[in-house]
Amino acid sequence: MSAPRVPRATLARVFWRCLFLQAAWNRRGMQNLGFAYAIDPALRALYPEPARREEALARHLGFFNCHPYMAAAIVGGAIHHEERVAAGAEPGAQPARYKQTLQGPLAALGDGFFWTALRPFFGALAALGALLAGWPAIVAAILVYNAIHLWLRVRLFLAGYAKGDGVVGEIARLGLPVAADRLRAAGSALCGIAAALVIAAAAGQGGIPAGALTALAALAGLAALTHGARLFPAAYAAALFGAAVAAAAGRLHGVG
Amino acid sequence: MVYLVLALVAGLAAVERKGFLQAMLSRPIALGPLVGWALGDLNGGLFVAAPLELFWLGAVNLGAALPVHEALGATAITGGAVLAGRALGTGVAPEIAVLAVLLCAPIALLGRRADRLVEAWNERLALHAEAALAHHELRAAVRVNLMGLVLPFGIAAALAPAGAALAASVVPAVLRAVPGAAAPLRLGFFAFAGLACASGAKALRAKDSPRIFVTALGVALVAAFAAGRLHA
Repeated sequence: MSAPRVPRATLARVFWRCLFLQAAWNRRGMQNLGFAYAIDPALRALYPEPARREEALARHLGFFNCHPYMAAAIVGGAIHHEERVAAGAEPGAQPARYKQTLQGPLAALGDGFFWTALRPFFGALAALGALLAGWPAIVAAILVYNAIHLWLRVRLFLAGYAKGDGVVGEIARLGLPVAADRLRAAGSALCGIAAALVIAAAAGQGGIPAGALTALAALAGLAALTHGARLFPAAYAAALFGAAVAAAAGRLHGVG
Repeated sequence: MVYLVLALVAGLAAVERKGFLQAMLSRPIALGPLVGWALGDLNGGLFVAAPLELFWLGAVNLGAALPVHEALGATAITGGAVLAGRALGTGVAPEIAVLAVLLCAPIALLGRRADRLVEAWNERLALHAEAALAHHELRAAVRVNLMGLVLPFGIAAALAPAGAALAASVVPAVLRAVPGAAAPLRLGFFAFAGLACASGAKALRAKDSPRIFVTALGVALVAAFAAGRLHA
């Protein structure tokens, strides 16, 4: 008897459902409901008998938490292992073991690359683009971000499915930590350029003193935030300080 | 009608932000122009989008930690600024934008509290799924996941228009009552935008982020000065 395989259309359906991984994120099982929802079409294809399907679904309703993009690799890998379980080549506990082993490291990798590097970089790029060229720059930045993110998500899913445990080597080859460092540095530079444009705009509206005050807000704000100041109070302080200084200067010049 | 549109955009953004896709469509940089366009003032939305994106660049969902609800805050601020600008007949000006930020930014904090409620509600969904599985109702156990999208949608759809309505009524009233406040507030906006850029650099957590930020700022300023963008 040949090993059961999940049809390609079903794999596509599982990938689509991966996009809902965090729909019901909860403190009890975190992404457990999302994982079970995503993998369910594959389980239905692999286990025609209700009892075996229920057993399989139960193991995927257990605790799971990972970065939502990186989780695609684990969903693909879990299907890889479920195929082997369905064929009798592995014990039923193997898919859960695979998930437990990979979820932590991939979560850390995904948070470090996607959430604190790639997305903020494109956010800063889009913001700078908006200041320079308006909405088309935003659309372009978001399109490029999603081309990269969806390509990686699909690639990780397929690599997980094809290689199972071997997906680790595939992910290592992507060199995400090195790329993340570069994106963070580049993003910081984009923020600096955006600050210069804001200062130039302020100077254009209110003269050199307005530009200088905006520069002070940027530099003092950076120093304060770097030393642990909280974001919201800092924002209120900057806006109100700017307005107060402008009001005082206006009074001094008799135009307030 | 405008509040209905705002509710719909806010609700969908709240869903995209965590429950589905996460393709940057609920980031302030995307929501600003989208809300502005939906309310008939694309440029007004665009005006606030960049500072809000940089201000909330660090609002990311790391592990079980909950960030502020930047999508909710951005929708309320943009909606409020556009509607206040329309009421005043000026469009979104810096003094309007900064007042909208000061009034509506706390809604992002309120959104974080609401997210905790959502998590507690989802815990009940998880128990429901386990119970369904125990009763051999596999389809019900699986489908319950999608129920988790309802509450974030509803909360954002209620809070964002409320925040925008607050700004749309308070901002014109303040600027009509104290016309002299417009000029100082304008500078307040630029100071906020300057801080937002710093917040973006801080959020990126690069090893040398402050140095890179200051160097880039200096080089760009010199370049802008050379290009004649600064008035001597």
